[in-house]
Amino acid sequence: MNSEEKGHSLQGKDTTSAGVEPEVKSVSVKKPQSFLGERPLPAIEIAPQILRYRSRRDFLVFGAGALAALAGAGFLLPQETLSRIGIHRNIDSPEKEWFLNKAPRIDDDVAEALYSANRSVPTYTKSQITPLKNNYNGATPDPGYISGWKLTLDGLASGLSISLDIRNLLTRFLVHEQITRLVCVEGWSAIAWWAGLRFDDLLHAYPPISQAKWARVESSVNLDASGNPDPYFMSLDLATVRHPQTLLATHFNGQPLTVDHGAPLRLLVPVKLGLKNVKAITKITYVAEEPRDYWAERGYSRYDGI
Amino acid sequence: MLVVRKHHFLVRCSHWLNAPILLGLILSGISIYWASPIYQHKPDPNTGNTDVAADIGVWICAHVPGQHHYSSPPDWIYNHVSLGPGMLALALRVHWLCAYLFMLNGIVYVAGLVSGGGWRSLLTRGADLLDALRMFRYYIGFPFAKVARRQWLHPVSSTKYNALQRAAYFSVPVAGLLSVATGWAIHKPMQLHWLAAAFGGYNAARVWHFWLMWIYIFFVVPHLILVFADGWDTLRSMIVGWSTRVERPEVLANEQ
Repeated sequence: MNSEEKGHSLQGKDTTSAGVEPEVKSVSVKKPQSFLGERPLPAIEIAPQILRYRSRRDFLVFGAGALAALAGAGFLLPQETLSRIGIHRNIDSPEKEWFLNKAPRIDDDVAEALYSANRSVPTYTKSQITPLKNNYNGATPDPGYISGWKLTLDGLASGLSISLDIRNLLTRFLVHEQITRLVCVEGWSAIAWWAGLRFDDLLHAYPPISQAKWARVESSVNLDASGNPDPYFMSLDLATVRHPQTLLATHFNGQPLTVDHGAPLRLLVPVKLGLKNVKAITKITYVAEEPRDYWAERGYSRYDGI
Repeated sequence: MLVVRKHHFLVRCSHWLNAPILLGLILSGISIYWASPIYQHKPDPNTGNTDVAADIGVWICAHVPGQHHYSSPPDWIYNHVSLGPGMLALALRVHWLCAYLFMLNGIVYVAGLVSGGGWRSLLTRGADLLDALRMFRYYIGFPFAKVARRQWLHPVSSTKYNALQRAAYFSVPVAGLLSVATGWAIHKPMQLHWLAAAFGGYNAARVWHFWLMWIYIFFVVPHLILVFADGWDTLRSMIVGWSTRVERPEVLANEQ
């Protein structure tokens, strides 16, 4: 259809309008109108060769735009999708990755700009609680790890590496309760009743190195789908660590965490997507540069603020 | 030659840009829907399936000729009207990219409407409900009249758009605005929790966002049929901006 359009506008003799004054004059009668009232379309008297020239230009501009959009879409579509519609040529390229990565980066910047330390997330009543299933990405770890569990803190101002067990944490810090919504990147969400210590309180008790901007939160007990060790690690900016609703949760629905929900200590960070809520945390490291992130390495965004 | 200026350059640009952007949004959106469908039922005792869209795929493969040997019936819908199942990370990236372009394109459209004055043609009028019904009757009756070789007169309209067009061309940008608003509500349900609350909460905003998509689909089908039925001048005017249908504004000018 594109060539047809061009053919149509190219009909007739070629116009050499160079040097010719544009013969365009308005012929519509201007009458006083109300602000909201529809005006008649402005009628113009225009020399046919100028009209032809302009129409040809517009067809070429929009035709080129259509081709560019088609090429752009073909360039951006994932290889699996292209194969499905019969294009088997592999056009995966670093440029494509760069371009597609740009969108979540911009979106991460927007999310960071939207974040406010003073804004609390909505809290709910116990009657609004909804079921929360075990959402371990791989297999659920064997509960054997719980008895010997310790939380290691690294990147501290003292230069020491600190090890804490669950009793240390529960006796040392005030326990806060909250009923908040956990939102998954997949789209589902669950309202759950959590209790635990504030991450900010731990940060104050064991201050990080002065140049720290990030926390790397990890679990060494996570497994992949076939049950092999698959450590989970995640980056969290210190601004979010300091948010009063960011908990290191020890209890779920009034009971100590079960292995399904990341016993004995999990991160509960309602201002982030569920994938940042690391279960069975074994180590927290404070660092200056943004640390690696399990899901960012698998094509998801990094900041994940919601 | 006497022509009328019909569509501002920016309106024409944003009009055509909507086609690839909306297509990208819908295809990636359905891939995102796959990860957590809003319409689910209790697990099927045989397959464990909970997704209504997968049921539709299974039904299609069982009943549509030529689809009996389809390798993965539950994925039929996702394989045909989305980027594909099981590619959430990529679908999200495509969705954000298209969503930001869609918002920018909305600004281009509004700029074109304002600088060209075209926004006035989209505003509803006193007699629009009756006129819209009259147009609806005309469109429905048109194919039958054609078959019966009966004369079937187009209702008289002295404005740029008839009442039904006005309703459609006004509603679609409003739907665009609501799609953006519900999109932000489910994208940032904590920082923008007031926005999610305005649509009845996070889960309700997801349902809104899903059904708003259908407005574009229901709009595009008759839109394409009618522009081809209406003729070359109408299609061309969205590319070049001018139309040779001059008589209407003259009539309007004389009436006032």
